Amino acid sequence: MPIIEVKNLLKKYKIIEKEPGMIGYFKNLIHPKYKEFTAVNNINITIEPGELVGYIGENGAGKSTTIKMLTGLLTPTSGQVIIDGLVPYEKRIENNKKIGAVFGQKTQLWWDLPVIESFRLIKKMYKIPENEYRKNLKKFTELLQLEELLEKQVKNLSLGQKMRCEIAATFLHNPKIVYLDEPTIGLDVLVKENIRKFIKDINKEKNTTVILTTHDLKDIEDVCDRIILLDKGQIIYDGEKQKFKDTFGNSITAEILLKNKKENITQKLYDEDFEIIEENEDNIKIKFSHDKTTIVKIVQILSNYGDIEDIHMKEAELEDILKEIYRGVKIC
Amino acid sequence: MNNIIHNAKLYLSFLSASLKEMLIYRLDCIAGMISQLVTQLVEVIFIWITFQNTDNLAGWRFEQSLLLYGVMLISIGIVDFCFDELYEIGPKYIRNGDFDKILLRPVHPLISIIGASNEFTCLGYLALGLFITISMLIKLAIPITFFLIIKIIFFSIIGAMIIGAINTIFSIASFWTYKSNEVIWTFFRMYTFTEYPIDIYNKFIKFLITYILPFAFVAYYPTMNYLGIDKYMTYLSPLIAIIFWIIAIKIWNWALKRYRSTGN
Amino acid sequence: MLKTMLELGKIHFKEYTIYKSNFYLFTLNRLVEVIVYIFVWQAIYNQTGNAGGFSIEQMITYYILVVSLSSIATWGINEDMSHAIKSGKINKELLSPISYFKYYFGIYLGEIGFAIPVSLATFILCSIFWKVAMPANLINFILFLLVIILILPISFFIQMIIGTVGFYTNSIWGMQILRKSVISMFSGLIAPLTLFPVWFQKIANILPFKEFIYTPINIYLGRIEPNEIWIIIAKLLAWITILYLIAKIFFNNAVKKITINGG
Repeated sequence: MPIIEVKNLLKKYKIIEKEPGMIGYFKNLIHPKYKEFTAVNNINITIEPGELVGYIGENGAGKSTTIKMLTGLLTPTSGQVIIDGLVPYEKRIENNKKIGAVFGQKTQLWWDLPVIESFRLIKKMYKIPENEYRKNLKKFTELLQLEELLEKQVKNLSLGQKMRCEIAATFLHNPKIVYLDEPTIGLDVLVKENIRKFIKDINKEKNTTVILTTHDLKDIEDVCDRIILLDKGQIIYDGEKQKFKDTFGNSITAEILLKNKKENITQKLYDEDFEIIEENEDNIKIKFSHDKTTIVKIVQILSNYGDIEDIHMKEAELEDILKEIYRGVKIC
Repeated sequence: MNNIIHNAKLYLSFLSASLKEMLIYRLDCIAGMISQLVTQLVEVIFIWITFQNTDNLAGWRFEQSLLLYGVMLISIGIVDFCFDELYEIGPKYIRNGDFDKILLRPVHPLISIIGASNEFTCLGYLALGLFITISMLIKLAIPITFFLIIKIIFFSIIGAMIIGAINTIFSIASFWTYKSNEVIWTFFRMYTFTEYPIDIYNKFIKFLITYILPFAFVAYYPTMNYLGIDKYMTYLSPLIAIIFWIIAIKIWNWALKRYRSTGN
Repeated sequence: MLKTMLELGKIHFKEYTIYKSNFYLFTLNRLVEVIVYIFVWQAIYNQTGNAGGFSIEQMITYYILVVSLSSIATWGINEDMSHAIKSGKINKELLSPISYFKYYFGIYLGEIGFAIPVSLATFILCSIFWKVAMPANLINFILFLLVIILILPISFFIQMIIGTVGFYTNSIWGMQILRKSVISMFSGLIAPLTLFPVWFQKIANILPFKEFIYTPINIYLGRIEPNEIWIIIAKLLAWITILYLIAKIFFNNAVKKITINGG
């Protein structure tokens, strides 16, 4: 039984058309003009319990809108969402008991009080049994290194400390599904790694379903098994992360140290099965894909133009692939 | 001098940015304007009720008291427009962490903050204040000369500067508590003391609002001048405004330094 | 469920008490408000000796009770809601496992929990400076407290209605000042309602705000007989029902349509 089922989900917004300048603002004040905008356009998603899903796309692709509909914060224009047997925007409270959510840097912790007070309140609100609460608190404290933070006032925490506490607060009631919208934004590398590891550990232990939205693709690379890629409100890829990389990330970049070069080779070799991205005094950068040529063939060709002293190859990372896709390469 | 012009320009550009932001919340903005008018109406009603029960208050008649009130409103309107953002230092800037961004700007943080003020309700205050002032001047048969108009504009601005300085001084509470708006508000509210002739108060309060928190110079002494009761006291008000701004900036800088060193 | 709400109230109350200065500050705030009124009325009584059927002692007591009660009558959750809407924190609040209504009622209880000591302190502080009349008798004092308890849900539902309007406008700053100024107009906060024109008193009799300030003070002063109280209680219960229904309809409607800052 899938835990998340989304069918033909559509969300249209009415937005006020802003006119430029002060006069435009005053015009808007009296007689605003609206235009329609489709944020999410007919998407279908099925997610099984325990999946770690990366939900990615450019700014304005409709990620946050989808997440809001999944959590019940937003009612769809049409289509259907079923979360663990419930329609979230109809049975909000019931749904809320089963989920957790992090929205960027917005914190649910009580600003002026020690962190532990917020945890205690969460315990009361979600009716977490005492022993379960203690067990979780102990475990989270260890995993996220919270010992010294629990008695501090939230306002005195750094951003990274706050986020670690926020993440702990979100998982405290053993939610079945957790939505993480930009959980690592603005954090330093160590904290990011800490949070990623925590998510994976909890997922392994409690089979928590995690939907992760982020701009930092390292998050996805580290945490997720599955990727859903959204563009202009539509899903353009949904599947395993590895398969995604294999399918679209077959291009390899290589940096080649080429000494004693006699001439400019970019103009000479424009018709080959590889592409020269950069050419300098004594090194060149090329890009090629496995299904067209091999590095051995390339080396043979290049050795006609100089002495090859070193080769450095790099497989495409998620980020490179996405950059390529965003740059306009249509994939479906 | 260049520095002042530069800061003034920055102030204007912050101001226009915040005006636009305000209009986004237009419906609420309209509700705000109406409600500020209602709030003022409530005060006028109290003055009216007062004079239903007596024909003079410390020797002042109804029209004279209303004139005092109208003059006060003009200054309050200017204060609201120019210094409203001081209330937000604690709840908005420091609480949301935006204050650090302001510290990074190449301007004095006070300019950034004061420049972000966008209280539109001031239009309500100003309109009502002007309406009351002008109609009472006519009722009291005081000739509205060019000189009087200049005086009213000048002393209203000076009055607003005095209140602005007082609000700035108490806004340092933001560095200690995010409920700082209550601190500023508490002392700001003392302006209501001088909506009535200060002779009704005991010595302590009179001393307080003349010399310690000189609200009496905002409307009371200027109105005495317009009415021809006491011509000279009000000419002290520009001096008082300058002194209080020097004190305000000194205190603010001291508090900022403290805040920066403790990190909070 | 009540327990959860009380927990919310407790945590909100704690947040206030983190700063002990809040308490002194709010009390000082009240004192500033009362000074003007008392001096104005003293000036009037020095000339006339009577106003609206109140003796000077009753009038001073009236205003001291006004400022003491005004925190209970006007404080609430709108600042917190407004902050939540603007900062986007509202998303998190809507995802909490208890209903939004109950969530904020809990917070409201915490707010009132802090307003009560401020009220008491204001009253005690004022009675040092001025001579204050004691409650007419024990029954009247109990009825005084009863009316105050009954205005709490009314005040809360009105704030919830304003808060839900904020879902549409993204800001409730203006409406919340409107709420306060309407209360100060019709509750007797600026002056005993008998000093107002008759047509105004008629409007005030229908609206629930009179019971926020004017009615309880008159019960305290013994100017309303205990047998008149039933009509007042019936009126309050009717308003509680009406406002509850309106708030629910507003809220349910708003939730369907919510679009929250930043999409």
